[in-house]
Amino acid sequence: MTEMEPREAGIDSLLRRSMAAPVPSLPPDFDQRLMRELRRSSQPLDRYQRILLTGYGLTSVVVSAVVMRGQGLDWGTISMMILAPLALVAAARWARRVKNASAA
Amino acid sequence: MESDSQLVDRAQRGDQQAFAELVRRHSALVFRLAVSILGREFIPEAEDVAQEVFLKVHHAIGSFRGEAEFSSWIYRTTFNQAVNLKSRVRFRSPHANEAVLYRAVTPEPGPGRQVETAQRDQALAECIRTLPEVYQSGLRLYYWLGAEVAEVAVLLGVPENTAQSYLHRARQLLHGMLKEKGYSCD
Repeated sequence: MTEMEPREAGIDSLLRRSMAAPVPSLPPDFDQRLMRELRRSSQPLDRYQRILLTGYGLTSVVVSAVVMRGQGLDWGTISMMILAPLALVAAARWARRVKNASAA
Repeated sequence: MESDSQLVDRAQRGDQQAFAELVRRHSALVFRLAVSILGREFIPEAEDVAQEVFLKVHHAIGSFRGEAEFSSWIYRTTFNQAVNLKSRVRFRSPHANEAVLYRAVTPEPGPGRQVETAQRDQALAECIRTLPEVYQSGLRLYYWLGAEVAEVAVLLGVPENTAQSYLHRARQLLHGMLKEKGYSCD
């Protein structure tokens, strides 16, 4: 610590007095809770969930296509409207991966 | 004892024990840094930040290339996460008033003097909140959490003399601000 000017020494001792308070710490079980949370969040979808999710996705696509066709849209527009959001999701995932890689 | 980079290497290959060891090594400092940014009023949020940081790091550890120290990466992530959270919770009422919490362990002699000290502490806490984030964090780490300048430097990711100059500049600014508000620092 370098030598302080008198006015700085004044504010230094004021800060010491004024900011004195109990120092908080993490709960002792923090690490265990975190590792439990990590295990839970990194568990892959089980087979049943995968089938359910895929079925839901396919049904949505078919229903959307039928409804849009009923509104008189051509198949090119319908395909674009269904594929564009999927492409956006893929692009966002790719951008996130690139961002994480550059942050590391 | 294994180095951080060895543990990171194992964690990248899916070794949960290695990641658990990294958590054990860094969780306390990550929490201290988060608390120093959020302040005394938001300790539960600092714990949430610490958890969020480790979840993020675990998610991204595969892309960590080891060009920087693992600790620098995790502290920078903590700093950004806590500053983001702080901007969101700024307008929410805190769990407790910072000046009151600090004062709780600083007994004063007479009632008149107590009021004066309370007002000055309140003014000081307000002045601190107007400082740049790195100054606020540096001050809380050094004066409240009892960190050495070297630790402040590591957590803020700057050289030691820069951390020293943050503290110096913060003291100068606070001195000026308190004087403007009519409080003496002596």
